[in-house]
Amino acid sequence: MIGNRAGAVAAGVLVLLCQACDSTPPASRPTGGAASREAAPAAPAPASKPEAGPTAETATPPRAEPPRAPATAPPVKPIVPDRVKQPASQTTTPPTPAAPTPASPTPAEPAPPAPTPASPPPAAQTPAPPPPTTPAHAATLDLSSLEKRLRETKAIGVFTKLSLKNEVDDLLEQFREFHRSPDQSSRAKLRQAYDLLLLKVLSLLQDGDPGLARDVSSSREALWSILVDPDKFKNL
Amino acid sequence: MSWRTKVRAAIVSMPILMAGPALAADDPAVLKDLTAVIALQGQPCGQVVTATKQGDNDYAVACKDGSRYRVFVNAEGRVVVQKQ
Repeated sequence: MIGNRAGAVAAGVLVLLCQACDSTPPASRPTGGAASREAAPAAPAPASKPEAGPTAETATPPRAEPPRAPATAPPVKPIVPDRVKQPASQTTTPPTPAAPTPASPTPAEPAPPAPTPASPPPAAQTPAPPPPTTPAHAATLDLSSLEKRLRETKAIGVFTKLSLKNEVDDLLEQFREFHRSPDQSSRAKLRQAYDLLLLKVLSLLQDGDPGLARDVSSSREALWSILVDPDKFKNL
Repeated sequence: MSWRTKVRAAIVSMPILMAGPALAADDPAVLKDLTAVIALQGQPCGQVVTATKQGDNDYAVACKDGSRYRVFVNAEGRVVVQKQ
């Protein structure tokens, strides 16, 4: 009797095993057949079994997903972090904050630069007012006043003033020659000499008489326009 | 006054009389002015350290780099920097 019962139990167990074998092979073979090593990842699958407990067919596809996820997770991390939450949630979460962190500072950085440029403009506005006033001076260029101020300034010594006057006279003579001759090719050279002379004057004035230096600098173009124009030059 | 005393007085007063025209110009403004003039003329100097007045608008200057110049105004009213 015991032998028959044991035999019946053994036969039942065999039948159950066969039934189980008939259902599992189709799903496990394709996944496990490709690589025998992936059978090890199949071990964690039982952990997911409880989630898909009712049906084994739905449980098998998730088994295949976990191995794919770890393999593809590293590259896909930044793209789809939410889709692979369960398998790589622990590994992806650290990088995920890391990614947003650089992303958030980037927008945050533009914000600080915005105020920074915002602050310089006020500083730039402070020097800005003088130029408008100086162009006004340049528009109404008062040569006699400028000359008088240059004569009276104490920023330049007597010898230096005399030397500068000599250079100015030389340059004016060059302009006279320029206006006499029809050749206008020496205009660039005259401009160079004019700029050099003005640079000398400015370098001498900038420390001792910055106001006069600023006025001379602002009237640079107006002076040049007078020197280059034959009619205006005659009236000097 | 003996002859010896006269000679001594002459010897003592001679350097003083000779030094009259050559007065050292220690005024920093003059030194700066001469430095600027030499620079404007394109001559190497660096900075004028001593200037000796030799006459009206006439100076003998020594520069920091060791060079010496005579700076004067000529008959045409031009400033001349002459290397010594």
